[in-house]
Amino acid sequence: MIEVIAQAIPLAIVAAVPLLLAVEGEVIVQRGGIINLGIEGMMLTAAMAAVAGAQASGSVLAGFCSGIAGAAAIAILFGVFTIHLRADQIVTGTAINFLALGVTGFVYREMQQGSLFVQSVAHASARAQNGVVILAWIVIPSALAFGLWKTRSGLRLRACGENPEAVTSSGASVPMHRWAALLIEAALVGLAGADLSLALSTGFAENMTAGRGFIALSIVIFGRWKVRGALIGTALFGAAEALQFALQAATSGVQFHLLLAVPYVVTLLILCGVAGRVRAPEALGRP
Amino acid sequence: MTRFAIAVGAAVFAVVLLAIVAAMFGHDPRQLLAILIEGSVGSPFAIQGTIKKSVPLLLTGLSVVIAFRAGVWNIGGEGQFITGALAAFLAAPMGWMASLLAAAIAGAAWASIASLMRFWRGAPEVLTTILLNFTALHLLGYAVNGPLQERGAQYPQTDSVPGGAWLGTIESTDLHHGAIIALAMAIAAWWLLYRTREGLRLRATGFNPSASAWAGIRVNAQIARAMAFSGALAGLAGGIELLGVTHRLFERFAAGYGYSGIAVALLAQLHPIGTAASALFFGALVTGAGELQRSAGISSSVAVFGQAVVILTLIVFGSFRRND
Repeated sequence: MIEVIAQAIPLAIVAAVPLLLAVEGEVIVQRGGIINLGIEGMMLTAAMAAVAGAQASGSVLAGFCSGIAGAAAIAILFGVFTIHLRADQIVTGTAINFLALGVTGFVYREMQQGSLFVQSVAHASARAQNGVVILAWIVIPSALAFGLWKTRSGLRLRACGENPEAVTSSGASVPMHRWAALLIEAALVGLAGADLSLALSTGFAENMTAGRGFIALSIVIFGRWKVRGALIGTALFGAAEALQFALQAATSGVQFHLLLAVPYVVTLLILCGVAGRVRAPEALGRP
Repeated sequence: MTRFAIAVGAAVFAVVLLAIVAAMFGHDPRQLLAILIEGSVGSPFAIQGTIKKSVPLLLTGLSVVIAFRAGVWNIGGEGQFITGALAAFLAAPMGWMASLLAAAIAGAAWASIASLMRFWRGAPEVLTTILLNFTALHLLGYAVNGPLQERGAQYPQTDSVPGGAWLGTIESTDLHHGAIIALAMAIAAWWLLYRTREGLRLRATGFNPSASAWAGIRVNAQIARAMAFSGALAGLAGGIELLGVTHRLFERFAAGYGYSGIAVALLAQLHPIGTAASALFFGALVTGAGELQRSAGISSSVAVFGQAVVILTLIVFGSFRRND
């Protein structure tokens, strides 16, 4: 059994990459005062855009770029509604998740029926996959920690999440900082979606993100909006996943369906495991 | 009146945009609109299909109306719908009334898990309710592949519920009595919100929780009750769908009815009676989209696209006032 778990750990580190990238992206926007519930739809759109880009060009790199572009399109839509129109962020996020589910479901069927559909998608090489793993677990968290806590823009962004009026009266623009945060999130979530469809699986499947965006939001809270917390939370979740993979390999039959519920139950426990009340950024969710 | 015009405008815009997008992918937009209309309201058979789809949508819509009016983000209609149906299935041998009662209680209980997590551990219900949806979905998958699978174990589905628990049909139609129950619930929800102290407190809590607390309302208890009411309605929707339409459970039983309730409630601008009209519109959209998939090969997920467009359009028109 221990052997099986030991084998599952490297697998879990790789499998947790899209989730980790999403957590990192969401830490940035939430520090700036925005809850992006539409992150699920953003990742789903990116996963499909990556496949479409990779198929059209035959290049994995173009696929990743296309995934980021897809996520950016969703980010712009979300930003126009929440930053520009000051709409409710939860309602907008929910609508964006519907939009992504509807559009990707529609396009997927069109691809299957039309000439667009190719059986095999260009698959990310092992080297590229390892690159993304290092990026997600080491490079981005370091850059994020530095950017958020050691730079002037990072301080301003955090101020946008705590006291936007103060930022405005200091002469800086809250909308500009929030837009920047949203676009950085789009880059990370775009990478996450592309990794999901081009590296971890061989193409797109309907609703393939399976709640990863919502799990990411939960881990942000568990990690108390800190980069270290994000890493610890994702690692904890990844360990539970590894255990689940190991159990899947060891059991058979109907228990499989119960194991599918494990990630969500673990996330619920993670959310409840936050000791005492955590303090969110003061202006989180305020338009 | 302007609010009504905006709602109709948003609904029309969604359908038009859908036709435009389909045209971009090489479909004939006129043919698409014709199928959509013909398939949803073009014949007595189609109209009955639309009404049948509207019944669960009306109930999940009301569920969202109650929750959002109280200012609590219950995005968990899908999970409450499933747990309601599971309980209804287990209680079905005791007759339809016991079965539907069990559905409502199970839905309320499932929703209340999110309340507990919120008040004991500070976990936001917007996330816990969504996570509970996925949990319920896989519990259903386990049930229909395992302990509740049909005799013979051929397909991942349950046996049919006993005939005695089936909801009867309204004379000279094949509409089940769940339609009447759903309408009665819409009136009851209106009465609760606008004609009772409970409803006044509930709306006040959603409007301004801190002022409500100062006015002597026990805000947390109020939110917990709203969540339970909301869950009960979604659970009831699942029970009625089981006893009135499918008569058995299978993996894709919920079919998005819980999530769709959000669009239904928002188009109705959180008014219980408006929800009935809104549910009919989305019921027609879902029915027409099903016909699109069968006869034109266009994915029925365009219905979800339509829901998104409706919500975003309503936001643009700024008519979306959560509390008034």
